[in-house]
Amino acid sequence: MTNYGLVIDQERCIGCHACAISCKQENNVPMGQFWNRVLTEGGDKMDTPSGGYPTDGGNGSLDMQYQPTACQHCENAPCVKVCPVNATYTRDDGIVEIDYEKCIGCRYCMAACPYNARVFNWDEPEHMPEEGTGDVPARPQGVVEKCTFCSHRVDEGLDPACVVNCPADARIFGDLDDEASTVSKYINQYETHQLLEDRGTKPKTYYISGEMSPGRPQTSDKLESELDDVQVWSDGTDDVPADSGSGGSAGSSTGGIHSVDDDAVGDAVPHVPAVDAGGDD
Amino acid sequence: MSNPQQPRLTPLPEWEEEAEAMLDGVEYDTDLGVRMARDAIRVSNGELTDAEFHEKYHEQVMEEFGKDERPTKPEGFDDD
Ligand code: SF4
Ligand code: SF4
Repeated sequence: MTNYGLVIDQERCIGCHACAISCKQENNVPMGQFWNRVLTEGGDKMDTPSGGYPTDGGNGSLDMQYQPTACQHCENAPCVKVCPVNATYTRDDGIVEIDYEKCIGCRYCMAACPYNARVFNWDEPEHMPEEGTGDVPARPQGVVEKCTFCSHRVDEGLDPACVVNCPADARIFGDLDDEASTVSKYINQYETHQLLEDRGTKPKTYYISGEMSPGRPQTSDKLESELDDVQVWSDGTDDVPADSGSGGSAGSSTGGIHSVDDDAVGDAVPHVPAVDAGGDD
Repeated sequence: MSNPQQPRLTPLPEWEEEAEAMLDGVEYDTDLGVRMARDAIRVSNGELTDAEFHEKYHEQVMEEFGKDERPTKPEGFDDD
């Protein structure tokens, strides 16, 4: 059976927030809400490191990493168990979804989610532009919403928007039950962890840290058909020696992805000023 | 509500405070929500079975929502 999951390589993530912004646009997420966030591990505020500058040539202790986070699509999801009207449910393919028609806005699921993945529409949702963005309808005031792994795209054989728009190839989406899928191969090959493993929620988002994976350039069906003349990507799984860091073919992949972005999806990605990229909208 | 910098892995005691804040002002029973949320995490954690969880809250859920459609309902569970 299909069981969708996501791998995020934290060594590849450059904290650019392209995933958060493309999620917001694709899913018509209202102003003031985020389904997908990139947190900074380090200092107290976004994009600030912990530690201090080196002084007098001494060792600096600055440290900063990124923690992309969204609904983890838990296999053993407390949000599903607690919903009294079965508005939050798990699809056959493992995606945790909300039936917005059924949701009565009790917010019990929000309290039960240990990942803070859900948001509540306090007010009538506001969109910019007003008619909304992306390929899904707006959710009404008074319901809870969250990341759906872009199930509307997955249903058409496409990867989630955050995966396709990650310029660092840090996100890989696929079938965890298929041993041959890239997600499964990455989970087998690299050291991965899940968030809050001790809570028993069995999240289906895995994080790679420690050793950088080759990444996986995302060429969805749609993009492949649009980009017949663009260089073909290799699967890349075996391309990079285990200790090569950012060198090797990962570097050439990064160079190549720009041509994909520029040619195919440049207009689809909003140009958000850096100062606003991590803000509330 | 959606401060992107909010902690991702809050320890349980802090999480409970957050849970209370989330449910504060909701037109449904806040206290029931906090208790159920805490126990739903316990169920995921294996400290409580689906059936125990369902049974523990069935009456209160019926009282509060007029129905109980949680997927934790054990086979043969008497709804009345
Ligand atoms: S991350 Fe939260 S909202 Fe998503 S499935 Fe897990 S418990 Fe539910
Ligand atoms: S807010 Fe909606 S989805 Fe969440 S528990 Fe209540 S009814 Fe279910």
